Amino acid sequence: MKKHIYDRLVRSGRLRRRDMLKGMGATGALAAFSGVATGTSVRPAWAAAHGALRAEILGIPGVGAGSPTDADWQQVGELCLGPTKEIVAEGEFAGVELTFMGLNNQNLHNFLFRGFLKPWEAYTGATINWIDLAQADYNARLQQSIATGTVDFDIIEMGAPFEGDVLGRGMASEMPDWVKDVIDMDDYVDYLKAPVGTWDGKTYRVSIDGDTHTFAYRKDYYENEEFAEAWAASGGEGAWEQPKTWEQVNAHSKFLIGKTDPLTGLDAHGYLDPLKGWGGFGFYFLENRATPYAKHPDDPAWLFDPETMAPRVNNPGFVQAIQDVLDLIDAGAYPADQINADPGTTAFQQFLAGTGGMLNWWGDVGSSARTSDTSVVGDVVGFDINPGSEKVWNSQTGEWEMTPNVSPNNAYIGWGVYVMATVDGDAQKKKAAWSAAAHLGGKDLSLWASAYPSGFQPYRNSHFQYDEWEAAGYDRAFVEDYLSSNADSYNHPNAAVEPRIPGIFQYYSVAEDELAKGFAGQYGSAQEIADAIAAAWENITDQIGRENQIALYKASLGM
Amino acid sequence: MSTQGDLLHVVTSDAISPERRRLGKTLIWGSFGVMVAVFVVLGLSEAGRIGMEFATWRPALYAYLFWATCLCIAQVVLYGEQGKRSLFILPATLFVVAMVVFPLIFALGIAFSNWNLSSPDGRQFNGLDNVRQMWGDPFYWNALKNMVYYTLAILVEYAIAFGLALILASQIKARKFFRVAFLMPLMLSPVAVSWMVGKSMLEIRFGPISRLARWLGWDRPSFFGDPEIARAMIMMMDAWTFIPFMMIMLLAGLQAIPKEVQEAARVDGASGWRGFWEVTFPLMLPVSITAILIRIIFKLKLADVVINVTSGGPGGATDTVTSFIFREYRDRSNVGYGTLLAIVYLLLIVIAITVFMKLVDRWMNPRY
Repeated sequence: MKKHIYDRLVRSGRLRRRDMLKGMGATGALAAFSGVATGTSVRPAWAAAHGALRAEILGIPGVGAGSPTDADWQQVGELCLGPTKEIVAEGEFAGVELTFMGLNNQNLHNFLFRGFLKPWEAYTGATINWIDLAQADYNARLQQSIATGTVDFDIIEMGAPFEGDVLGRGMASEMPDWVKDVIDMDDYVDYLKAPVGTWDGKTYRVSIDGDTHTFAYRKDYYENEEFAEAWAASGGEGAWEQPKTWEQVNAHSKFLIGKTDPLTGLDAHGYLDPLKGWGGFGFYFLENRATPYAKHPDDPAWLFDPETMAPRVNNPGFVQAIQDVLDLIDAGAYPADQINADPGTTAFQQFLAGTGGMLNWWGDVGSSARTSDTSVVGDVVGFDINPGSEKVWNSQTGEWEMTPNVSPNNAYIGWGVYVMATVDGDAQKKKAAWSAAAHLGGKDLSLWASAYPSGFQPYRNSHFQYDEWEAAGYDRAFVEDYLSSNADSYNHPNAAVEPRIPGIFQYYSVAEDELAKGFAGQYGSAQEIADAIAAAWENITDQIGRENQIALYKASLGM
Repeated sequence: MSTQGDLLHVVTSDAISPERRRLGKTLIWGSFGVMVAVFVVLGLSEAGRIGMEFATWRPALYAYLFWATCLCIAQVVLYGEQGKRSLFILPATLFVVAMVVFPLIFALGIAFSNWNLSSPDGRQFNGLDNVRQMWGDPFYWNALKNMVYYTLAILVEYAIAFGLALILASQIKARKFFRVAFLMPLMLSPVAVSWMVGKSMLEIRFGPISRLARWLGWDRPSFFGDPEIARAMIMMMDAWTFIPFMMIMLLAGLQAIPKEVQEAARVDGASGWRGFWEVTFPLMLPVSITAILIRIIFKLKLADVVINVTSGGPGGATDTVTSFIFREYRDRSNVGYGTLLAIVYLLLIVIAITVFMKLVDRWMNPRY
């Protein structure tokens, strides 16, 4: 679980120690009677023990009993060693030394891994050296390692967007079959299943996280009778209620111009588009608007043509998304200085502080709504998946189809653990590295990581069993509201999953530069902006190598 | 021992034998040959022309150190005590060569290469392609244009700094306090200034400056929405940080002016303004030029405030060359092109500063 979510739950007072203890008892009872939900009904006795294990680890240290410490991480790691012990004999990796490269964000990530793996080291006899990186240093460190061929680590924590850079160059070790059995990959939410984590049909990734953009909106705007009456009086189409399409989002945003925010008494605003770049990450937010227009259900590709790598960013779907933003700029629908607002600003300085009625973001907005001292929207925020559209562009036929379309944007895909090919020459080291990775991506351990501060979101279907959360002491209504928007995005059949090709953030970065010029009025039309992005993307593709990119793009799409 | 020559500085006068000279020259040229050979082998290995493989270029470093050591020893062998004297400066020179000249040569090699870190082909020489790309790159030219605006703003900064320096040089109350207080902004990191001023005080809803602007009648204050205003705000934040730097240099200059000169002007009936314009200001010109020159060099490196506050926007209005190169490098891993832009910028700076200094020299020391 992201730390914000945990803090929010604890601070909101919805968790009490007593509730938690009651919950633990209930979970134990639940586990004793049923293993169906966790897919363990085949072995009832084991299922009971397994269910009890899940309940036991969820009680370490106990939801609401303070932040977990290294001792807790080690205890969880110890309790979840079962699958390792089935595969690895005690002391089997004595003398093996591995190096693990990962993040140190918020003192999570690698710090947890150390604790989880300490009992694993004690049991197997292997030792692990750690390379801790700040998020800002991660990309540069990885790219330099790749470019200079100095891979000085055996295991890496890595986001799926980098798979093209690493897997595409054959730098990772293929996952052995026994690991697939240990980590139960069938339990992954749909979008994390192949082709994500695979390359040319081979599997490389142990998922430990999921990422998606979800839609957050102000419920008080839609419960406001004055707004409803004014909307009806203005001839607004449909009822004054939460928008489900981008057409509605845009119409509501224009309608709200000149209105007063019912919560803050300041100017009301509609959807908050970040109009400034954010090191490439800002492009995800145009994608949110574009995916329903441009991600056709029959076509896995949506950013590039997989046969030619011709950008689709200048097709009518993306142009429509850009045009929608330009229309809102022209209408004066955004707060002043929006041209200087990056995604961080829209989320934390605007939406949570009571400016704006809607935005798309990762899970942090939901979790910060009540925990952040500067947030005023905690009680009036609702969540849903990315809005859809009333039409979708079909790149195959080159025509608009006037059929509704929905396509959540699973931006950044999520963190995973990968083993580098450097271990392939040493069978013992390879087994040790994969055993460590499998331990971190284990089904039970990941449940604990999704329920406590870890830096990771739930990413398995078994993580969305709300009974387990409720039994552990969480407030069911909140958990269901918040997590279901994630689960529905992950498992959507037309979810947009970004291409895992080399240099994907280069494409995003240059697009941000062109969009910034376009939003500042330096291009004549949305089409011109889109064409400029497409031209820049063509240059990047040529520079990195078109044939290679085509092959890797196809591989990333599983074609 | 010789009784002739520079007896004050020479302790011993060595008689260098022909054999010793040969040994010295052999040391120099032999080690130089070894170094060249190592470079050639490494180059051929890199190009795949020979079967040998090296994991790193570290042998080249060792070869350079070997040559440098032999060169130093050879100075003594060849020139005796005169050679020992050169050892006071030679190692430092060789160190500078290693740290500046070599990297510059490598940078030139990279600048004329197509090197995107995501490309599986690695670095490839591409002639003048990067120059052609630069020539047609509107982002780079826009950033250069902005640098002209930013640099011109130094004139205003100079005027303010001079005014402050004059105030602090006069007999005012709490002079020491104000000297320290005025210096404080210089002690702040530009990154801190970006967040404290750019992101907090100028925040359009809650920032105190925004509240003040609203109180003054500006309904929807926007400090970074309009290109001209945004550029002016960046200039002001940068100026706020660095005016104290110019001020302290000018203050030092003012304090160095002999009081008698100004007193003589007053005795001759010069008014306050004429005393300043015809006595103080001309005397301050050398310090002023130095302060402006150093400030220009600082200004040309402007990036942190821009990266943090506007990312170059709106629409490139506040972009600087350094912040653009930062995006090319960090966000787009475009090492070859980014390096070329940096080299070209370096050349432009060297040329501009040289011309500036020549003009100043001609202006201050007219040759009639």
